[in-house]
Amino acid sequence: MGYLTLSKISKQFADAVVVQDFNLSIEKGEFVSFLGPSGCGKTTTLRMVAGFEVPTSGQIILDGADITDKAPNQRNVGMIFQAYALFPNMTVVQNIGFGLRIRKEPEPAIKERVAEMLSLTHLEKHADKYPYQLSGGQQQRVALARALANHPQVLLLDEPLSALDAKIRVSLRSEIRMIQKKLGITAIFVTHDQEEALSISDRIVVMNEGREEQVGTPFEIYNFPKTAFVANFVGTLNTAEAEMVDPVKGIVKMDGVQFESANQVEGQKRGDRVSIAIRPERFSFASEQKKANVVDCKIENITFLGSVVRIQITIGRTKFNMDTFNNPFLELPKIGAVTQVTCSREAVLILDRQ
Amino acid sequence: MNLLSWLRKVPLWSGFWYTLGVLYFILPLYATLDFSLRIQRDVISLLAYQNAFADPGFLKTFVYSNILAVITILFSLLLIVPTSYWIRLRLPEARRIVEYVTTLAIVIPAIVMGFGLISVYGAPIKIPFTSIQLTDSLLNSPVGTNFIVIMGYTVLALPLMYRSVDTGMRTIDVRVLTEAAQSLGANWFTIIVRVILPNLRASILSGALLTFAIVVGEVTISSILNVPAFSPYLWLMGQHKAYEPAALSFASFLMIWASMGVIQIVTGGRAQASVAH
Ligand SMILES: Nc1ncnc2c1ncn2[C@@H]1O[C@H](COP(=O)(O)OP(=O)(O)OP(=O)(O)O)[C@@H](O)[C@H]1O
Ligand SMILES: [Mg+2]
Repeated sequence: MGYLTLSKISKQFADAVVVQDFNLSIEKGEFVSFLGPSGCGKTTTLRMVAGFEVPTSGQIILDGADITDKAPNQRNVGMIFQAYALFPNMTVVQNIGFGLRIRKEPEPAIKERVAEMLSLTHLEKHADKYPYQLSGGQQQRVALARALANHPQVLLLDEPLSALDAKIRVSLRSEIRMIQKKLGITAIFVTHDQEEALSISDRIVVMNEGREEQVGTPFEIYNFPKTAFVANFVGTLNTAEAEMVDPVKGIVKMDGVQFESANQVEGQKRGDRVSIAIRPERFSFASEQKKANVVDCKIENITFLGSVVRIQITIGRTKFNMDTFNNPFLELPKIGAVTQVTCSREAVLILDRQ
Repeated sequence: MNLLSWLRKVPLWSGFWYTLGVLYFILPLYATLDFSLRIQRDVISLLAYQNAFADPGFLKTFVYSNILAVITILFSLLLIVPTSYWIRLRLPEARRIVEYVTTLAIVIPAIVMGFGLISVYGAPIKIPFTSIQLTDSLLNSPVGTNFIVIMGYTVLALPLMYRSVDTGMRTIDVRVLTEAAQSLGANWFTIIVRVILPNLRASILSGALLTFAIVVGEVTISSILNVPAFSPYLWLMGQHKAYEPAALSFASFLMIWASMGVIQIVTGGRAQASVAH
């Protein structure tokens, strides 16, 4: 059993079930992201951990103690909001010291801890400023320092970077990750940005309609999505309808073209309809030595995306995207040309039909 | 707004209306001031002010009204800050109803309220549907009477006080701040006193000063319940003296202006702070 366990959590508001039978176990010091489309229940789940919502059913266990019905101010859980939520009437130092003062820590201890937090978040220069005198990124760092000052058992972050511009978002997210690792604190990070989730998490929980769709490391989630939803939501993906030809060897047929897959799906019979998925970067132009999955295709369009060149091809009657890294010596086929592309058996994923 | 922007496009007209507006406010005030300085024939003097301030009734009623104003302010804050806070936090649907209730004080004439208070509290108070008497009529004791007067004042001040406080609540994100404080371990009392109230400073101050002006200027309820308040005294003096009431009226104006100045200074600084946000 993990440090923080959510078992069979459900949450129903007046008219709608928002979270359903949600299960998750998080180890101490782990950084877990909730990733999913808008309205899938990420915030609601996080708020149940924080105590702002009470689950309709299920249990939340933190470090061996059942906290399901505990009031938020009785739990030791730090929370970071998208809107920063700094107290406008207090300076940076007063904001950071707020929780310690509530706990009636002795004044010298508060001072020391606040100084420690200021240096951890590089805010020493802004110690005596008020929130309105700080930029968004600085305000969010104050919020982080304020939440961490209390030594919370878990740190909860609800889209903390969404209100910031792209550059700050990237630098602050690696700063958050660094601080989390340094303190060894357990964290849950809510986002609907897949790149964010992939880049900073130990594990990702992909959520869909109030359930955990797949839980795994970023590597697993990206490379071995278990469902079509995960595959589609994380990264760009080509999906196509196909027919099972040989479930043991993993051979499927799409528009009369055969693909071999390394990925076995249980309970499939010859003739079943299946979905196949191939990531754009897994295609390459066919060369002599490759044997598996060499297929004919027609070049439809070529788009430069900076470091990547995206080529649209048609295999059979189905359109696919193919990505290749850009370099000045790249030789590209002409639009309209007919050529051959290939991908490894591992690149062809057979997904559960939903 | 449309009319205003149209007027702004016509400089001549806007100048005209501006002058007219200023005259409308300034002329009576100037007349009052001028009149109050002429108690002695052909001499400009402050004698009327001296007389007015020297009257023992002045000090007594002025102090009384000030004390009642302060109590009314404290009481209405105690009533309205938690109410408005809770509505913003948990009951947004109730806002329209409460807003409507607070405006009743404007709709119902003060004289109706005054007689209503007498007819309800003039009788001994019993537990409903029994003959067990809780207290004698509140109006039989000075403490009880003052209590009822304060309740009446509170109702009169409700529309302005509620609106001031509620506007202040709107400028801060009450929900998120509350949750942030809760997750840091704060209880309700701490949240209201340390987080909500300090951020409402400007709006509470403006609500308080407006309440103060209403209480010190209130005539109807104070007269009906026969308490020694300032405005009825001013009115009574107007019955048999000419110059002193004018002097006191002008002095009250100065006081209100000073209050407005304080509001401006406090809220002005605050507004700039939130623009930079
Ligand atoms: N207090 C509430 N009362 C009723 N419905 C609610 C309440 N809070 C959330 N919901 C509903 O629950 C669903 C999930 O909301 P939630 O905020 O958890 O989504 P989310 O995954 O965080 O989405 P986003 O990415 O947009 O923030 C939404 O359909 C929302 O309308
Ligand atoms: Mg959300």
